[in-house]
Amino acid sequence: MKNITMRKFIATLGATALIVGGTVTLIPSANAADPVVVTTSGKLTNGAAYTMKVPARFNGTFFIWNHGFRPSFDYPGYKAPTGVEELTPFSVNRNADVTAEMLKAGYGIASYDRASTGGLHGWNTTDGVEILKDMVDTARAKYTNIKKVVVYGSSGAAPVINQFIEKYPDKADAVGLMAGLTTPSAALQSLCDYFYLLSVFADPTIKGCAAFGVAKGPAGHMAALGEFAKAGALLSAWSKDLGAKPIAYPAPLAAAGIPQRSALLLAGLIVGIPTKSAHMDGISTSAVIAEHSINATVAILENSQDALGTGTLAGQAIGEIVGAGFYDNTKTDWSALLSAADSGRFNLGLSGDDAIAGMLGVLRLVPRVKGDPAAVAKFKALDTIKYTSDKPTILLSNEADRLVFAGNSALYVDNARASYKARLAKYKAGTGTKPMWNTFAMYSLTPEIYTKFSDAGLPDLSGPVAESGVGHQSFTTAQMMGWVKLLAQSAKTGKAPSQKFVGSSIFAKIDPNLNTDPDFLPTLLKYKS
Amino acid sequence: MNKRNTLSPLTRRGMLAFVAGVAVSTLAITTLPATAASDPGVSATEIVLGMQLPQSGAASPGYNKVDDAMRGYFDYVNSKGGIYGRKIRLEVKDDQYKAGLTVSSASSLINKDKVFAFIGSVGTQTHISVIGDINRRGIPDLFVNSGYSGFYTDPKTYPTTFGGLGTYVVESKIVGKYLKDTYPTKKIGILYQTDDFGRNALAGFTTAGLTFEAKKTAVNFIAGTQGSLGLASQLTALKTAGVEIVIIAAVASATAIAVSTAAQLGYKPEKWVVTSVGSDATTFQTILGSKGVTPAVSAGLLSGIISASHAPSPGEATDEYVVAFKKINDDFNKGPDKRWDNNVLQGMNIAYMATSALFGVGKNLTRKGLVSYIENNGSKISSAALSPLGYSRTTHEAFTSFWIGAYDGATVLKPIGGTRVLYTTDSGTGPVTVSNYVRPALPVDAIAKGA
Repeated sequence: MKNITMRKFIATLGATALIVGGTVTLIPSANAADPVVVTTSGKLTNGAAYTMKVPARFNGTFFIWNHGFRPSFDYPGYKAPTGVEELTPFSVNRNADVTAEMLKAGYGIASYDRASTGGLHGWNTTDGVEILKDMVDTARAKYTNIKKVVVYGSSGAAPVINQFIEKYPDKADAVGLMAGLTTPSAALQSLCDYFYLLSVFADPTIKGCAAFGVAKGPAGHMAALGEFAKAGALLSAWSKDLGAKPIAYPAPLAAAGIPQRSALLLAGLIVGIPTKSAHMDGISTSAVIAEHSINATVAILENSQDALGTGTLAGQAIGEIVGAGFYDNTKTDWSALLSAADSGRFNLGLSGDDAIAGMLGVLRLVPRVKGDPAAVAKFKALDTIKYTSDKPTILLSNEADRLVFAGNSALYVDNARASYKARLAKYKAGTGTKPMWNTFAMYSLTPEIYTKFSDAGLPDLSGPVAESGVGHQSFTTAQMMGWVKLLAQSAKTGKAPSQKFVGSSIFAKIDPNLNTDPDFLPTLLKYKS
Repeated sequence: MNKRNTLSPLTRRGMLAFVAGVAVSTLAITTLPATAASDPGVSATEIVLGMQLPQSGAASPGYNKVDDAMRGYFDYVNSKGGIYGRKIRLEVKDDQYKAGLTVSSASSLINKDKVFAFIGSVGTQTHISVIGDINRRGIPDLFVNSGYSGFYTDPKTYPTTFGGLGTYVVESKIVGKYLKDTYPTKKIGILYQTDDFGRNALAGFTTAGLTFEAKKTAVNFIAGTQGSLGLASQLTALKTAGVEIVIIAAVASATAIAVSTAAQLGYKPEKWVVTSVGSDATTFQTILGSKGVTPAVSAGLLSGIISASHAPSPGEATDEYVVAFKKINDDFNKGPDKRWDNNVLQGMNIAYMATSALFGVGKNLTRKGLVSYIENNGSKISSAALSPLGYSRTTHEAFTSFWIGAYDGATVLKPIGGTRVLYTTDSGTGPVTVSNYVRPALPVDAIAKGA
C-alpha cells in the first residue's frame, strides 16, 4: 500500500515537472522571470464581450470565470456593468482578484460579459448556459493547446454553471462554485420571508417580494428598490440604538415591552441570516452588548443590508421571469423555522419564552401573503438541476456569507449525494451507468473572537472586518488560489479530492482559516427547494 | 511584466509540492482498504475525553469545580494503571456559558484534541447548541450535567447523549408531590427561568398536581438576566399574591439573588424550595460572598431551604463513597478550589461512572460499543448515587430517584424527618412511588470495573 502510493507520488510529481519544464523552454530567456501574457478580446455570438489571457508558459489548463448576478439597470449608487467586469475570482472585502497569481501559475484565463442579447443582465440563466458554451468553444478554437477546461464562478453564476455542465458535460473538465447559489427558490423564499417578518413586526407598508415582478424594466426595478429602501430605513433606525426600543407594532406586541432587537433576532433566525458578521463574532460581550445573543443580533443587523439587497434585486429579476406573485407563505409554519437549539441558545436575546411565544403567536394570527399559483410553480421550478454531473465539482463558501448563505453549499452536497446514491442503485440494478462521487466542499471560517468595542462598550462596525469567513465572495488570496489549484488538479485527474482531504496537513497549509473538519456543516438553509 | 509576476524557483517548488500533495492525498484516500479505522481519541495507551463548562464568567461559580474533580478521579484511576492500560486524558474547554464559545470549543475538541467522547458538559442552554452536531457525528456524549429531559427521553433524536443528572421533570414531580401532600392548604408559588430548564421543572410540578397562576403565583425571568436586572419585581409579585412557599427552579446564582433580595424586601415565605442544581451550598455562599454577605449570614439564609438530591449529601461523613471520593479529592485534585462540596462529589461520580462504563466495554473500545454498552447495561453501572440509573435503549435518563431534605445551619442537606426516603418516577406522567433501591457497595479500590 505504501509502496504503491509512493510510486504514484513519484509518477505524479514527474509528470507535473515535465509539464512545467516543457513550458519553461517556451519563455524567451530575456524574460525568464516574467510571464509573457497574450491578451485577446472580442465578442461572442450574442455580442457579449470577452477577454482571454494566456501566459507564454501556459500549462494547458484554461479557466473560464463567471461572475455573479448583476441587475440590468442603473440605480442610484449602482451602474449596470458593460463589458468584462471580473477576469478571475474576486474578493469583495479585499478588492482584489487573483489574475496575476493565476497567470504566474501558468493557467489560461477568460471571462465574459454575462449579459444576454441586448446587453441586459438580470436573471438570465437560460441564455447564460448558451453564452457560456459559446465562451468555451471560442476559447478552444482560439487556443488549440488547451488540455483541460475549468468553468468556475461565484454566487448567482452557479445555476448557470450547473445547468451548463449537465447539458454539455463534455465541454469542461472541472467545475468550481464560489459562494454559489444552489437553488434560487430556496434562497429567495427565505429572503422574502425576511421582508414579510419586518412588515409584521415593524412596518406594514413593506410589501417585499409581493411587489416584485409586478412592473418590469426600469420602473419595476425602481419599485423594488422602494421596498428595499423601506426596509433599509427601518434597519437604519434600529441600528442607532441597536434595537433597544420596544416594539411599537403590531398592537398585540406593542404593550409587551419586547425590544425591537428581539423581533430582529427572531426574524433573522427564522430566515437563517448568519449570526456572525463582518464585525460581530456572536460571542463577545461588553457593557452595551451584555450577552452573546445580543452580539448575534447586531450581526444579523449588519448582515441585513446585503441579504435584503439580494432579495430585492434578484427577486425583481426573477419576478420578471416567473411573474408577480411568486412568493406565497400561506403554508409557512413559522414556529418550525425557529429551531429548538436557536430558541435555547438565543433565549435571552429573544427576550425569553414569553416574548418568543408572543411573537410567534402574532405570526400565526396576522394575514399571510397569498401568491399566484402559476408564478409560484414557475418559481419553484426555476433553474432546477438534477445533480447528474460526474465532473469534479469543488465548492468554496464563507461560513458567514451574508448574501448567499453557506447552507447553499451544504444543500448542493446533500442533493448531489442523493442523486449519486439513486444513480448508483440504478447501476447496481443494471439500469444505468456507473456514477462517480465527485464533489468536494471547502469552507472559510471566521476567527473565534474578533468583535472590537469602544471604551463605552459600543461595537465598532466601521473598523477592519474579520480576516476570514465573513461577507459574500470575500476570500483570502491563499484561499482562492488553493481552490483554483485544486480545480486544476481535479481537471487533470478527473477526480475531486475526497472530503477527508480537508483533514490533511496538506490542506491545512493552504490557509489557516479554512475548515479542516471533514464532517463540518454550516448552518443549513431553511428550505430545500 | 512587472516583477510582482516573477515566478521564483522557490515558489515553483512550493507549487509543485502542493499540486503533488493534492494528488498523493487523493490517491491515498481512494486506495485505502475498506477496513474500519479505529475511532479518534483512543489508542493503545490513552483515551481522550472532552468537556465543556463555564470555568470563568458569571455562571461559573461552583460549576467550575466539576472538571477538576473529574480529572482528579481520572488521575487516580491512571495511577492504578488506567483502563486496560490506557490512561484517561480529560481536555476541558471554558465556554463561559456563551453558546458561541460552546460551538467553537466543541469543534476544537473534536478536530484538534480528537476526543473519543464528550463527558460531563455543563449547561442546558449551551449544550443545546452542540448536542445535535455531537450526535450527528456519532460521538458519545456522556453524563451531561443538565437535567433537561428533552436531551434524554427520545434516544432516536440524540442517540449518543446520556444524562448526568436526574431530569428536572422527575425531580419536580417528586418534590411537587411532597409539597402537595405536606402543605395542602398553603399557597405555593414558583420562580423559574424561562428556558428549557425552567420549563422542564414547571412541567414536573404541574404534573404533580400543583397549580400556579401566571404573573401571580408563577413568575419568571429570562435566564441570564438575574444578575443585571435582579429579581425584585418577581418576588414582589409573589409577596403580593401571598405565596407562602416559594419554589425556585433556576441556577444557583438566581437562588442566591432571590433569597437575598427577598430578605431585603422583607418577604419571608414560610419555606423556600430549590431544585437541586440551584441549591448547592458552596455555590450559594460563594455568590453571596462576592456581594459582601458573610458566610454566617449566607448559611442562615440557606438554613431550612428544602431541596432534593439523588446522591448522598457531601456532608455525610460516614457514607463510604463520600469517604473514598473525599480522599481521592484530597490526594489527586489539583484544581485551585478543591473544597469538598456537591460539585466535587458530582464530578467525582461522573468520572467514576465513566470509568465503570469504559471498563465494561472491554479492551476493544469503540464509540458504538460504548453507547451500546451503556444502553444495555446502564441500570447496572456503578454509581455513588442513592438512585438507580435509568439508561436503556428507550431512555437515556440518568437518576430516576430523589430524596428530599432541608439544609441545616451547617449548610448540610439532611433528610426531612431524619430518615431518608427515596422516591422514584419517570419524566412522563407516571406516578411517584417509594423506591427500594439499594446502592451497590463501593469496590475496595473505589474503581468500578463494569456492570
